[in-house]
Amino acid sequence: MIESFKQLEEVARDRDLAEVFLETDEQEHGIPAEQILSALRKRRQVMRDCIERGKSGGQSMGKLVGNEAKLLNEAFLSGKTFLDPLTIKAELYALSVMGENSRMGVIVAAPTAGAGGVVPGMLLALEEERNVDPEKTVRALAVAGGIGSIIALSANISGAAGGCQNEVGVAASMGAAAVSYMMGGTSRQSIHAAALGLKNTLGLVCDPVGGLVEVPCVKRNALFAVHGLTAAQLALAGVESVIPMDEVVEAMVRIGRALPRGLKETAEGGLATTATGCAIGSRLKDEANQRRAERAEERERLAQERKAGVS
Amino acid sequence: MGPVMVGPSSSHTAGTARLGRVAREILDEDPVDVHFYLHPPLAATYRGHGSDFALVGGAIGFAVDDPRIPEAIRIAEQMDVNVQFSEEDQGDVHPNTVRIEIRGRKREAEIAGSSIGGGVIEVFRINGFQTRFRGDSPTLLLFYRDRPGMISEATKIIAEEGINIASLSCSRKQRGKDAFMQIDVDSPISAAALKRILAIPDVAEARYLDRIP
Repeated sequence: MIESFKQLEEVARDRDLAEVFLETDEQEHGIPAEQILSALRKRRQVMRDCIERGKSGGQSMGKLVGNEAKLLNEAFLSGKTFLDPLTIKAELYALSVMGENSRMGVIVAAPTAGAGGVVPGMLLALEEERNVDPEKTVRALAVAGGIGSIIALSANISGAAGGCQNEVGVAASMGAAAVSYMMGGTSRQSIHAAALGLKNTLGLVCDPVGGLVEVPCVKRNALFAVHGLTAAQLALAGVESVIPMDEVVEAMVRIGRALPRGLKETAEGGLATTATGCAIGSRLKDEANQRRAERAEERERLAQERKAGVS
Repeated sequence: MGPVMVGPSSSHTAGTARLGRVAREILDEDPVDVHFYLHPPLAATYRGHGSDFALVGGAIGFAVDDPRIPEAIRIAEQMDVNVQFSEEDQGDVHPNTVRIEIRGRKREAEIAGSSIGGGVIEVFRINGFQTRFRGDSPTLLLFYRDRPGMISEATKIIAEEGINIASLSCSRKQRGKDAFMQIDVDSPISAAALKRILAIPDVAEARYLDRIP
């Protein structure tokens, strides 16, 4: 088992990083590499399908978001965007996945659902724009997963445990390592891409409005998909993180512990308790109560009908 | 990479669906009554994240990527499953923790566990016994009367099947009384072996759980 990024760097020197992770899984869990690759092929396909569905938008469960992907897609298709296509697609695909997620659609947790737009946004935009072989994307998912699982040895991957740094920060870190791999970077460059990506998200809180995975989560995924690409770019140019990846993860865990409970997914601080956040929160509560009352009424009515039917 | 799942939150939908599913697998029959006792932070966030659908979905046997999860509460109603949610402090545990009481026509079961992110779960109590169960490898759960030789009799059958044991833990309520053994194995246990294990004197019940989907 690979227990640290320091160890990973030693083991993976001059080797294909995906190969190293696949081999470790095979030794550790007895799952043949081909079986893992086929599971990852399925995940890539679920991501692709999810992006296609998500592009056209649609209202979320809490009705706070819904047309972000559609708006960006329309602007892009009609030539009204100013960024380069890779960046726009990374944003667009992340928004598409998160839109689907907010409608309880089928997605891939990468590493979580709330941060599930970042990795597919980065990887599938890059695959299209730089003509990367889809099979390489599949192997890059093994890299992303491998990086995530080493982080998970010392950190709980959830906003409830340590804020959004533990979710979107980890996703950007995994994605940055995977993109570096797809672009032909060395294992060392992938690890530094991961460190640069994670470092710059430290302290990020989880303050979802009304407790829903909608605001700020959906748009934040798009912005952090771009962030991850820039981390990979720096690492590929030879820029390295002064603080080694293992220590960045340690810092993340310590910061997560120090964050107050109100900023860890409870919707009791930050954006959730702004004037607008509070107003939305209480509207959602009223609506939920009303729906429950309606359901209870419906059950009552059905019970009455059944009784009437029997007699 | 995490699981393919129904949104919107891996802690709140994937992990919770798996916790519900663990309860269902340990009950080992169709449920009639399910009561979810939510730790306060989860009670504060579960509705917005769809944990209610997911917990119920798991408890009626759905996997995390089952597209019927958003409809799980309605489907449970159609199946005449009585579902209840309450808030209950579970002590010094992960924020997303739930205790589940589940009852079928013949049996009942109780578990308590946490959804710790990315769909990963940690069940720390099963039918009143302390344990540590993650549902990520095939596992045998034995409920039996505490007595000398029980571990060797059970493990002998597993060894004869050529199955490797990854880890084993036991706990008991009192010496010579109700006891519990959890055996994590590297490969599936056959129905025949399970039958042999059930036939060991003083074994009250045995459950074989594959990876929890």
